[in-house]
Amino acid sequence: MDLRGKPVRKMVEAVSSKEVSAYQLIEKTLENCALVNEALNIFSVIAGVDALEQARAIDKRLEVGENLPLAGIPVAVKDDIFYGVLPTGLGSAAFKEFIPPYTATAVERLMDAGAIVIGKTNIGDMGLGSSTVSSPNGPTVNPWDAGYAAGSAGAAAVITGLCMLALESDTGGALRQGASHCGVAGLRPGMGRVSRYGLNADSSSFAQVGVTALSGDDILCALEVISGPDGRDASLAAEDKWAAGGRVAPDLQSESLTIGYPAAAFDLPEPEIREVYEKARERYQAGGYRLTEIDLGLLPEALRAYYVICLAETSSNHARFDGIRFGRAAEAGDLEELYAKSRRLTLGPEARRRSIFGTYILGKGHYDRYYRQALKIWNLVRREFNRVLKECDLLMLPVVKAAPVRLDEEANFLENWGADLFTAPVSMAGLPAISLPAGQVGKMPVGLQLVGRPFSEKLLTAVCDRLAPENKLFPHRGPS
Amino acid sequence: MEYEVIIGLEVHVELHTESKLFCSCPNRFVQEPNINTCPVCLGFPGAMPQMNEEAVEQALKASLALNCEIALTSYFDRKNYFYPDMPKGYQISQYFVPIGSRGSLLIEDDLGSEKQVRIGRVHMEEDAGKLVHSISGEGSMVDYNRAGVPLVEIVTEPNLRSPGESRRYLEQLKSILQYAGVSDCKMEEGSLRCDANISLRPAGTETFGSKTELKNMNSFKAVEKSLEYEIDRQKKILDSGQEVISQTLRWEEDRQETIMMRGKLEAHDYRCFTDPELAPIKLGAEKVEEARAALPEMADAKAARYGRDYGLPPYDAGVLTASRALADYFEACLAIYDNPKVVSNWVMGELTACLNEEGQEIETCAFGPEKMAELLKMIEEQVISGKIAKEVLVKSFRGGKTPRQVVEEEGLLQISDHGELEAVVEKVLAENPDSVEKYRAGATKVIGFLVGQVMKETKGKANPQLVNELLVKKIDG
Repeated sequence: MDLRGKPVRKMVEAVSSKEVSAYQLIEKTLENCALVNEALNIFSVIAGVDALEQARAIDKRLEVGENLPLAGIPVAVKDDIFYGVLPTGLGSAAFKEFIPPYTATAVERLMDAGAIVIGKTNIGDMGLGSSTVSSPNGPTVNPWDAGYAAGSAGAAAVITGLCMLALESDTGGALRQGASHCGVAGLRPGMGRVSRYGLNADSSSFAQVGVTALSGDDILCALEVISGPDGRDASLAAEDKWAAGGRVAPDLQSESLTIGYPAAAFDLPEPEIREVYEKARERYQAGGYRLTEIDLGLLPEALRAYYVICLAETSSNHARFDGIRFGRAAEAGDLEELYAKSRRLTLGPEARRRSIFGTYILGKGHYDRYYRQALKIWNLVRREFNRVLKECDLLMLPVVKAAPVRLDEEANFLENWGADLFTAPVSMAGLPAISLPAGQVGKMPVGLQLVGRPFSEKLLTAVCDRLAPENKLFPHRGPS
Repeated sequence: MEYEVIIGLEVHVELHTESKLFCSCPNRFVQEPNINTCPVCLGFPGAMPQMNEEAVEQALKASLALNCEIALTSYFDRKNYFYPDMPKGYQISQYFVPIGSRGSLLIEDDLGSEKQVRIGRVHMEEDAGKLVHSISGEGSMVDYNRAGVPLVEIVTEPNLRSPGESRRYLEQLKSILQYAGVSDCKMEEGSLRCDANISLRPAGTETFGSKTELKNMNSFKAVEKSLEYEIDRQKKILDSGQEVISQTLRWEEDRQETIMMRGKLEAHDYRCFTDPELAPIKLGAEKVEEARAALPEMADAKAARYGRDYGLPPYDAGVLTASRALADYFEACLAIYDNPKVVSNWVMGELTACLNEEGQEIETCAFGPEKMAELLKMIEEQVISGKIAKEVLVKSFRGGKTPRQVVEEEGLLQISDHGELEAVVEKVLAENPDSVEKYRAGATKVIGFLVGQVMKETKGKANPQLVNELLVKKIDG
């Protein structure tokens, strides 16, 4: 049985009608995972026995006639999202064996709907960065070219057929960039859509829980399950908003839309990537979409402000990893020494760097200069995106400037941060955005970003499926 | 030299709520450590705070009761610092915009005239856990039951001028917050905690001297004592031409002195910023007005009403309104037995004595207001005498039975039967001929002694009025 290319809805039908049992499906999936993981380093943990137990339970639920919208669907969960059965590594050597006492809302909802968690996917140092290069487990290798990082391990799992859905966080753009680098679709939901309870966020303002899959419709299947009010996340849209629009109701027809095209932004990526975007634009136009050129300012300013706020929040969110309650406690003579040493045992170089910067940014005399200014820019960025989305129904943006990080090169942190140029500003705007395959540079895929108005997730998934080339190409490393 | 004393108080009060400030763990004291905890109040990564509306309402009430201006939009901010009792590495507090500001409270100054104490701010925050240090030196443990309990911090402007004023401010604050139903304000149990800032300056000058911060006072008296001690200490330093060092001092109750806790008051850099995981607290103007209107009558207004409507003397009114629990008891009793002065006498006298003796609280004691009313009714209906009633109260208080049950079970019914009493009266008269002579000679006061003898014979059960009548009738023959 080949998982590759099969839509989620079809697979759910097959499992629900007992054409294949969830158990068989997961057994096969686990075999594939073991096979591929060694080469690509996608998983920090593969669920094994637990996944088979989950599958058995799903078969039983189907037996008694339950209707499960995600029956048997294998899901990979990023290692910064809590699942109270498997170790949640958080991207720290200190958390290798940490089994959290609770499960994230989104994971809980996927499992209720019949999905099966098959493993936790690799993340950077404390989940930071838009690739996995700073991971204490080493980077996840790009399935298309072993010389490059995958960007996100969940996207690598999807494109190699190890799972049908990947539940991933997206702060500055990790999910979207990973989707781009692996050639899959990845949706970052808008503010207030999906509960973030159980996500170890480095930045509480910008982190969201999203979904990566082969198609927009696959994403929609998951989104319908995971979105909705949750008393445990105060940022979620109020109950009445959900009642009005349903869970993921569309607000427009996907066939006849105006797509805004900020020409200046498309001048920024490297030439080969620019070319991919140019061709995609022509295709979209030929496909009946009206493309209108718009001005979108503030991208570089937004990126800087994004990092100021993000670093400040990280320094505070990571304060708890001090060796007292969380993180590995070091031998020490006094409290100060305990903190200093324990934090070194728990946080890697990237996490420490961000905490130090964040501490500086919030410090006396710096708050006004950096943090307060960044908040002002954040406000302007939100306004700018809202203004633009009055001129068009969807906004088109690059996802990436360049190919993913090369694994044989020493990474420069500022350059890595710079990779978020097109994704972080969208995170600031709080709008939903999807990264969809747009073409290739050599064998490396390149994704394009569509940004919608608040609550337009369903529309984005529909447009994604109309615009993405029918992707039957899989990297040859994948299992058969 | 003559000095002017400048004192400012920072008071932390635990709010009375069902659950903690940001999770549904019960806000209740338990002995066993770390029982009332969950991922949120233990600061687990990914466990986000959820705002407790009830705590906001309580903080609003506190602010209104202290005559504060109310911020219709306020925020929760993070105060970042490391300490083992703070599981997240930051405390969620209100730094930039407190819910209440520019409030005031009236006290008597040292000369007995009215003084307005200015309150700078009232803000909400979460409590920290408690460190437990092992005596045997195995290290320290943390109990997070208290972590996340809702607090308000009430900060005065530096406009208290003496330890006495400070104590009266605290007493008044406690009364107001208790009346508002915001907190039980028990300093001994830590539901009210007070730090004091104190400095001296030469009388008539304007610039503040360097201040010290006093901590670890466990009672209002300790606050007063520690301030007195500190004034004296600072005076001596200044008189000797030296400078007071800005530092944090710890009041040692056993030694009745302050000792240095931390050197040099560091201006701590808490790197505050608004918590991105919590929405702003928005209060509608209407909601604020509703809360203002719903504030209960405070002690002073109540005492005035007791005088006006019930004709109680100021002393009684003052005592009965000293705590809301006492006033509530009095009013509940009055609702059943409408005789204010009698109820007042019994509540202030016998009941209070009983409470003190048994070390109980009025709100939890077994002798509730309905029992008191029943007891007083029985006196009025001459079922028992006042003297017996005192005994009944003690028994009912201790054993939990109703006064009527006690009276019935112990056979304490008042004797109002003529025949029964006449026999006793005759016996007493026969045994005390001198008294009878004296009475006849005009010393009518001895009748009291004779009544007493009859009461003694009947173990207090005789109806004293009836005995009096019978005695007079017999002697006058």
